[in-house]
Amino acid sequence: MNQADLSKLVSALRIAVKPKPRLLSCPEGPAGRLKKLRATVTALVKYERIELNYPRADEAQGYAERLISDAIRNGDCHKHTMEMADYWLNEKQLVHKLFKVLVPRYQNYNSSFTRLVLGPKTYPGYYAGTAILELKGNPFPALQPENHNYHYWLHNVLLEEAKKEFRSAQEERNAGTTESVTTES
Amino acid sequence: MAIVEHLASLLRKPIETSDEAGERSVSTQKTGDESGNTVIVAPPEFRFMYPEFLPDPAPETRNRLREKLERMDMLQRRSVIEIPEFYTGSIMAVTVADANSPNKFARFVGICIQRGGSGLRAWFILRNVVDKQGVEILYEMYCPLIQKIEVLRLERRLDESLLYLRDALPEYSTFPLNMEQERRLNNSVVPINPIKVKLRPRPWLERWERQNLQGVEDLNLPQRFYDKAEKVAKPWEKYDLMLHYRKTIPAEEQEKIFAEVHSQLQQQELKRKLRRRRGFDNEQ
Repeated sequence: MNQADLSKLVSALRIAVKPKPRLLSCPEGPAGRLKKLRATVTALVKYERIELNYPRADEAQGYAERLISDAIRNGDCHKHTMEMADYWLNEKQLVHKLFKVLVPRYQNYNSSFTRLVLGPKTYPGYYAGTAILELKGNPFPALQPENHNYHYWLHNVLLEEAKKEFRSAQEERNAGTTESVTTES
Repeated sequence: MAIVEHLASLLRKPIETSDEAGERSVSTQKTGDESGNTVIVAPPEFRFMYPEFLPDPAPETRNRLREKLERMDMLQRRSVIEIPEFYTGSIMAVTVADANSPNKFARFVGICIQRGGSGLRAWFILRNVVDKQGVEILYEMYCPLIQKIEVLRLERRLDESLLYLRDALPEYSTFPLNMEQERRLNNSVVPINPIKVKLRPRPWLERWERQNLQGVEDLNLPQRFYDKAEKVAKPWEKYDLMLHYRKTIPAEEQEKIFAEVHSQLQQQELKRKLRRRRGFDNEQ
């Protein structure tokens, strides 16, 4: 049993974090893993919507969320956060974008800052398929149509109950008329 | 169409409201906090003073109910015995109930070289050199056999783990067994002892040159050791955000845990202070 590390305070991430990280094997080994993910995170912050293979997208989502949550929590005057932003974003103008554009955008968010949508899985191809990783609030048209009719909304609940009431009243009326018919005959 | 007419007929009926509901909707005024309750927030130092209240971050073994029950048991034990605030590098004395010793108690004095575990399994290791023999004892903080834990000198060191004292000169680990409790000059700040320990010549139990130790004097090793240490080092781990996340409990959860535990711990502190003051007055 290990004690939790106390040196840094970390905000809770609002995505599902898998217990073990993926190795993302490459010729440079573990050093190369972070290098690959750096390129992915930089591209995500730059283009706000990227299409790539699912495993790398899943790993990069965690790192992107951590970077943004640290930036929101600590701001740009915090030395450690600035070091992380400097490492993870290969282009230095994106560091400005992170603190000046993304932090105000996500300041009051109660949900995650990124969205991972499964993409086409063409045959023959990479077994895990593609995925689209995007920052929420991006200027592009939505990937998935918004469903504006949920069964748990209040007016929908009331409508369902009204329908049930109407149908039961209808059945009673029908029962009454059939009885009268049978008694007549 | 028939359904719409049915709905319209419902709307035409007067909506029955209970008197209570009406009163409630008029009387509630939201001032300050939404729920109207004061929010309990523990001071931020709590995570250093009571690190064993935070659970093990590994998600495979987490169980919220078990953690809550453990915290209740820990508070219960703390109400019976005083478990003082201590850090790695503090000199402590622990009295344990021992059936085989003539006094039925066994007291050991030593420096805390490491602490770990979470919940009721929290432990710490005390080290001392007795008759030129290094002795280390691991104590479980919430073990019912423990009768008394005293902190003779409360201080911190430059490292979180002082395992290198095993390879250091014995004078750095020797403390008199009849050492008395030292009075703190400044109660608000825990002093950091900047001592740099001298190690014995090699061979050592661990490769100390590969661990970034602050509290050790210059190791004076041949250059090949440092070259190999550089080759083997993982400098990218410093930037691995998800690695850090998996090793920590998020701040929101920490706040929740300590808010739960804070009021009871404060009450226990107050009771002990009163008892101490009363004891002092009685002596006088």
